[in-house]
Amino acid sequence: MRNFLSIILLATLLFSSDAQFEMGKKIYKTSCVSCHGAKGSSDTDTSLIVEPRVLSKTILTQEQSYQVIKKGAHYWGASTDIMPAFESVYSQKELYSVAYYISKAFNEKIKQKISKLYFQSENIFKDKQDEILKRGEKVYKKNCSLCHGIEANGDGKANNNPAISIYPYALNKTLLDEKQIFLYAKYGGKYWGSDRDAMPSWSKKYDDFTLKSVAKYINDSFIKKR
Amino acid sequence: MKKILLVLLLTSGIYAANHIVDQKGKTFIPHTLKVSVGDTITFKNSDPFAHNAYTDNEANEFDIGMQSPGQNIKIKVKAQSSFNVECAIHPNMLLEVTVE
Repeated sequence: MRNFLSIILLATLLFSSDAQFEMGKKIYKTSCVSCHGAKGSSDTDTSLIVEPRVLSKTILTQEQSYQVIKKGAHYWGASTDIMPAFESVYSQKELYSVAYYISKAFNEKIKQKISKLYFQSENIFKDKQDEILKRGEKVYKKNCSLCHGIEANGDGKANNNPAISIYPYALNKTLLDEKQIFLYAKYGGKYWGSDRDAMPSWSKKYDDFTLKSVAKYINDSFIKKR
Repeated sequence: MKKILLVLLLTSGIYAANHIVDQKGKTFIPHTLKVSVGDTITFKNSDPFAHNAYTDNEANEFDIGMQSPGQNIKIKVKAQSSFNVECAIHPNMLLEVTVE
């Protein structure tokens, strides 16, 4: 009896996953493919105008993708609202299915990738917390704030010089966690699927210790406090 | 003697050269430069976004701040100390200045 129930439960779960995948795939073809492309590679005609994220490279996890699809990118700190919010168009179940589809179809191993890249990098020693934050603050103010702003509002001096020349995120709204912020700064926007290539890779300029310090400063100063 | 020194001081500016360095495609053009003390370097910005050239070299330290597209900003080489110039916004930009 127990074996029979286990089989039924397993079959239900598998069926649900398949159904979720198919639902997400259908919605993706309707609402997402014109910008992000059939393979999530953003090789579409509209990509020349709107420059959508290459989903097969995104750093976002499935849950984070769901939040962006639901609320739109601007809600989470993007300086433009080209990636719209779909919460008024689709139900929560449908939105989740799209995120599920994107994750399974294009970027299934992102969590493993983040973990691998992070743990391959240089460690920050726990007994140097003060030094870590000071160092992070110094670099943030010297470099990052020029685009992202002193208070991480996305209003750095370079942002309106001239207007709409760059598109820095308001980091105080970002969905990214500390590890992802470090990896984004280390590898740059293009590596993580941003066609604009405005966010550079800082790995040649700063070592992992410094970049992790910056990520910690951003996380502790702007994200934790919101 | 004093007159000679005064003449030399007044005329030294005549022989100082002005070097033009452009910033285009997130690159310093040229990316290496030979200068003398007293020379000036004019940074042009031919990119459609801002740059912020600076050096941490103590003897020739400068930070030109936010430089708008189309704007030219001049700095003076103050000491006989070669230095690298970077951009605070674009980390892959590098200008190597040799002071002769």
